[in-house]
Amino acid sequence: MSIFDNIKNALNSFPVKSTYKINRMRPPGSVDDDLFMKLCIRCARCVEACPYRVLRRSSATKNAEIGTPYIYADVAGCQLCMKCTSVCPTGAIDSSTVEMQQVSIGVARINEDTCMNHLYAKVESGELEPTGNMALCNSCLNTCPLKDDAIYLKDGIIPTITEKCTGCGLCVERCPIKPIKAIYIIPKNMPDAETAGYYNYLKRIGKQ
Amino acid sequence: MQKFRKVIQFIFLAPLFIVPILNLLEIYFMKGTYISLDVGGLSISDPVSVLQALFLSHHVAPIMLVSVAVPALIVIFFGRVWCSWACPYYLMLDGFEALRKKLKLKSLKKPYKKDIHIKANISRLGILILGLIFVGIIGVPLLYLISPPSIMSSQSVLLIKYAYVTAEFILLPILIIIEFFFGYRIWCRYVCPTGTCLSLMQTKFSMHVEYSGKCSNCNQCIRVCPMMLDPKTESLSSACNNCGECISACPDNKKEKTLYFKSH
Repeated sequence: MSIFDNIKNALNSFPVKSTYKINRMRPPGSVDDDLFMKLCIRCARCVEACPYRVLRRSSATKNAEIGTPYIYADVAGCQLCMKCTSVCPTGAIDSSTVEMQQVSIGVARINEDTCMNHLYAKVESGELEPTGNMALCNSCLNTCPLKDDAIYLKDGIIPTITEKCTGCGLCVERCPIKPIKAIYIIPKNMPDAETAGYYNYLKRIGKQ
Repeated sequence: MQKFRKVIQFIFLAPLFIVPILNLLEIYFMKGTYISLDVGGLSISDPVSVLQALFLSHHVAPIMLVSVAVPALIVIFFGRVWCSWACPYYLMLDGFEALRKKLKLKSLKKPYKKDIHIKANISRLGILILGLIFVGIIGVPLLYLISPPSIMSSQSVLLIKYAYVTAEFILLPILIIIEFFFGYRIWCRYVCPTGTCLSLMQTKFSMHVEYSGKCSNCNQCIRVCPMMLDPKTESLSSACNNCGECISACPDNKKEKTLYFKSH
């Protein structure tokens, strides 16, 4: 029976769709990822148009995502210059996206266990003993293109992300925590938001 | 005429290098790759890629139809000239042939046989149809993976602008080895989906090679035909790509019009 179940699962999760990973976003203004994978003809125009060399062509053969454009936020976040939205020949990137406020390619989340500001707040409230990891670093706040709209400091200490977050990933690029950044992006238009992303990572290393 | 064709081929090779260099200089007049090229406001796309996206997504963007119109009109009026007059891969194969001649290697071309072009046409069409079925099942437009000009141009952008290549690059060295050592224009004759799709739009009213009906039967045209056709009788076959080699090679053409391009 288990073989039948395996086959059933394999067929029902077909056709192949792109993998969902944290910090891997489509270009700003992309349509839903199901549709994106059908529309993207891999012409690399958006990769060419990107003046900051942030968009990269995927080389992964898994789930046929080879050739599609990606922003790798831990390398470089999107500067939201909107040059790539007008060049797509098939409409995989919606050309009506012209303002950075319209973009929503993901949502940033903060890992409260490693973020220096969160540790600072915890030390201040007496939860933790002071360590060398605590500081008012505010990197994510200072680098955000929608500062005070998308991210603000709650009580003057804790960085808090609002619904206006575009998911550009600049905060991930700037976050000083290594090797795993204390802030990460859950890409919005990818399937399976519940089961994947950061939580998937936690499962893999066995913490959840 | 063959010199003229070479010049045009090299002009169409130039975007491979010009586009990324313009890009580095932040000039966006010409952008894209041979999957979809944009010169100024004129958008030209590979019909196979756009048709895949169209059929898979059920989503019509006006720019898709417009960008297919240009290649379609060119094929309807001039036949499948993209392959022989513009495609950088075809230019590479021309170069290989010349190189083999220079190195005094034997030509890989087999002697003319009557049905060989029919076999080639069936194989090309079969691969296009099977490819489309495969693409339809997995739901992702992947046929660009077997289109050498697309891969060449997209990889050259990545190489020049970003200094890396992606996994599809592996096809190029394999094809170069096959075409240089093992076969004569195998890809163009037996596989290429773009060429097949273009030749489907060609009719007997498009430009094609016409034979006046009387010649000295020297068979020079058969010897030079890169698609292994008999230009006198089989010029309407979808294998013919209007390269004009037979017309330049024909010795009777000097006296009177024997082989010539004709468009209705």
